[in-house]
Amino acid sequence: MDPTAHINERVDVIAVFRKGGGIASLCMPAKMYFRGQEILLIELGLRHPTVAGKRMIHIFDMTDGSNDYRLEFDAEGLTWTLVAILEGSRVGSYVRH
Amino acid sequence: MWGHMYAINREDAQILFCDLNSAFAMAEQQAHPSLRGRPIGVTNRLSKHCCVIAASYEAKALGIKVGMRLDEAQQLCPDFIMLETDPPKYHHMYKSLARIMKTYSPNVYMKSIDEGVIDLHGTMDTINKGRSMEAIGYEIKQRLRQEVGSWMKVNIGIAPNRFLAKQAASWHKPDGLDRIDHRNLAEYYKGIALTDLSGIAKHYEARLNAANIFTPTEFLEASPDFLKRFVFHSVIGEDWAQRLRGFEVDNVPTRLGNVGRQWVLKKPSNDESFILPCFHYLCETTGKKLRYQNVDARGLMVWARFQTGDQWYQRRMFKSTFYTDQDLYARALYLFSQRPKHMIIQSMGLTCYELTPSTRNQVSLLDAVNRDEWLTTAVDEINDMYGTFKIFSANALLGTKTVQQKIPFGGTKYFELLLKQA
Repeated sequence: MDPTAHINERVDVIAVFRKGGGIASLCMPAKMYFRGQEILLIELGLRHPTVAGKRMIHIFDMTDGSNDYRLEFDAEGLTWTLVAILEGSRVGSYVRH
Repeated sequence: MWGHMYAINREDAQILFCDLNSAFAMAEQQAHPSLRGRPIGVTNRLSKHCCVIAASYEAKALGIKVGMRLDEAQQLCPDFIMLETDPPKYHHMYKSLARIMKTYSPNVYMKSIDEGVIDLHGTMDTINKGRSMEAIGYEIKQRLRQEVGSWMKVNIGIAPNRFLAKQAASWHKPDGLDRIDHRNLAEYYKGIALTDLSGIAKHYEARLNAANIFTPTEFLEASPDFLKRFVFHSVIGEDWAQRLRGFEVDNVPTRLGNVGRQWVLKKPSNDESFILPCFHYLCETTGKKLRYQNVDARGLMVWARFQTGDQWYQRRMFKSTFYTDQDLYARALYLFSQRPKHMIIQSMGLTCYELTPSTRNQVSLLDAVNRDEWLTTAVDEINDMYGTFKIFSANALLGTKTVQQKIPFGGTKYFELLLKQA
């Protein structure tokens, strides 16, 4: 039904800040350490801001090529949280013809 | 023979309509590369019997429709994936589209969370000098892909009025760009059915059929007077005659008529210890909407639908206006307590009407009134600072945990604040 696994764990992240390019890719996490595993994030799906009260939170939907990761950056607390993982192997075998 | 005003509008097409089709599903596919090219749907609250409120193009191709239940969708496609709505994601998409659209004209009107109109009159010799409407359309598509994401697709329609521009935007989905004007108007109508016209559903189709109008071409050929007298029995007939011919009749600003909130209970109940906190929560969210719109209300209607299928409502016009949560709840509770209490409630809601611009900036001679005003302002400011529903009535606690905020599909009156930030 919904292949999302909710994690909500603080993670170590290496992020890249670019001086130019589109607004969608000025900043993006490049590598994440989660439960002893190093995950290389190769593509940004969507970045969008949201708020928790007056605290600005940036949400990054990233992929490593097989799984999708939802990461939240708290711009006030300067923390990265892995909110959820959508496992590519759980999205089914449907192929568009 | 019709007069000049009823001939087809030969004006240059300067209305551009943008429509993000399957918007919520597309946003999810943009965010999750694993879901691209797959049949997915979005629902408000994930459960066994939840409904599809947006389906991806891949799902639509398999026959999965909006409104279909999850189990029905899974019968058509066992690999169908259903996700819960993610409002901040869609707000971001809405803001991005609005921001892009506003760079072409000051006259941008967002019709809903996923569609909007750009009126380019007066801009083709200034900010859009040297560019054709089609060039602007393709540029909007490209900018949306650059600024939001590569999976984003927008249908664009170009026409002399809003109605035809919307029709053009739905001509070739997804990712289409079409123009309808006096050159191809008659040809376009030949290829569609009456119900393909935006605003013509079953009932209007039946009315037209009863007057021997079975196709859009026959609808176009009918005189305005005939449509007014024999089909719609009002000026709506004349409006349709003009709309079909490319004249603008839909640029009328809408007035805020009512503010309210409703809720469908997951488990129908008549237990007061459950119903009242949820009802109180609905009152508090309605109060917030009133204050956001900067209006006071005088009229109030509360209603309930019961498990038996029966409906009940009670309404009252009060002598004084109200806008605070306490005032609203006291009045709503007075009406709500008149319901048949033995009946099991399936859904309930309240609507405030007879809205007037707020006068709450004026200091009252009565201390009690001022105290209410200051308390409400202070609570709203704290909630703005630390997040919605950080401070609320203790009685509404259960409601804050039970009632979920849904995505508004219709008007964008509660997104205007977001639009200003775009």
